[in-house]
Amino acid sequence: MNDAEISKQVQQMVRFIKQEAEEKANEIAVSAEEEFNIEKLQIVEAEKRKIKQEYERKEKQLDIRKRIDYSMQLNASRLKVLQTQDDLVQGMKNAAEQQLATISESHHEYRVLLKELIVQALLRLKESSVLLRCRESDVDLVFNVLDDAKNEYIEKAGVEHVQIHVDNHKFLPPGPDSEGHGQFCSGGVVLASKDGRIVCENTLDARLGVVFKQKLPEIRRRLFGGSGA
Amino acid sequence: MEKGQGGIQMLLAAEQEAQQIIAAARAAKSARLKQAKEEAEKEVAEYRAQREAEFKKKLSESSGDSGSRVQRLEVETQEKIENLKEEASKVSPEVVELLLKYVTSVKN
Repeated sequence: MNDAEISKQVQQMVRFIKQEAEEKANEIAVSAEEEFNIEKLQIVEAEKRKIKQEYERKEKQLDIRKRIDYSMQLNASRLKVLQTQDDLVQGMKNAAEQQLATISESHHEYRVLLKELIVQALLRLKESSVLLRCRESDVDLVFNVLDDAKNEYIEKAGVEHVQIHVDNHKFLPPGPDSEGHGQFCSGGVVLASKDGRIVCENTLDARLGVVFKQKLPEIRRRLFGGSGA
Repeated sequence: MEKGQGGIQMLLAAEQEAQQIIAAARAAKSARLKQAKEEAEKEVAEYRAQREAEFKKKLSESSGDSGSRVQRLEVETQEKIENLKEEASKVSPEVVELLLKYVTSVKN
């Protein structure tokens, strides 16, 4: 070959080499772009999913917290209302207790009441010999009605006789003082079997307690309608 | 002979250039891939910021309206209590009278 041909061949080869290199470089660039997109997308999707879950969990917890708080609030307010109901009803009992003391002040009616209470206790005990205890201030009245009470009991119970021993040493506590502190008794009697084992508390205070318990559902219904235990 | 050498020089130079071209392309590729990580992170950070902002908004909204709900409940409860007290004071004398009546009536 002559010089010109050699030189032409060389130039061709140089061109070829460069061309190949540039094609290769192009391939690399194209694959770079593809990989860039795939890589970026994969990372973004994976991370976004994690973040989404994280925030969904947070929002759910927020919701739960809200509901718990509200339900606690609701309970607290229901309790308040129930407590108020309770207090109000108790207040009525207290008001009644205060008025109990005045019953023994009207001697005429109280005298009759005492007799009836004694008879009732006798009928409940059905003992032939009983112990009677009353307030010191009521002793006179008790003795005043004792025979009437005995006779009424004997007739109603169909027994021959009954023995009532009035305790002259130990008395029921006196009526409430102005402050209502300490033990007090608003009236009535306590009867017991001779051996002291069976007791019938027919004091005004005990009776109020019993009546109150019995009437409580009715009172609550009247005041609070259907709601209320 | 010189001309032969010249040709070979040219070929070698072309080879070298070719290597450089390819090397540059490879470098660009790995830079591009690094960029992928960076851009991805940026997008992810934006997304996180957006979710965070939404969450904060929800947080403040809910505390706002639960605060007012609590207040309403308080007011309702107070009303209920006041009504109860009123009812009770109306009915109390009756109830007391009833209780006392039962205490003082004895059926023998």
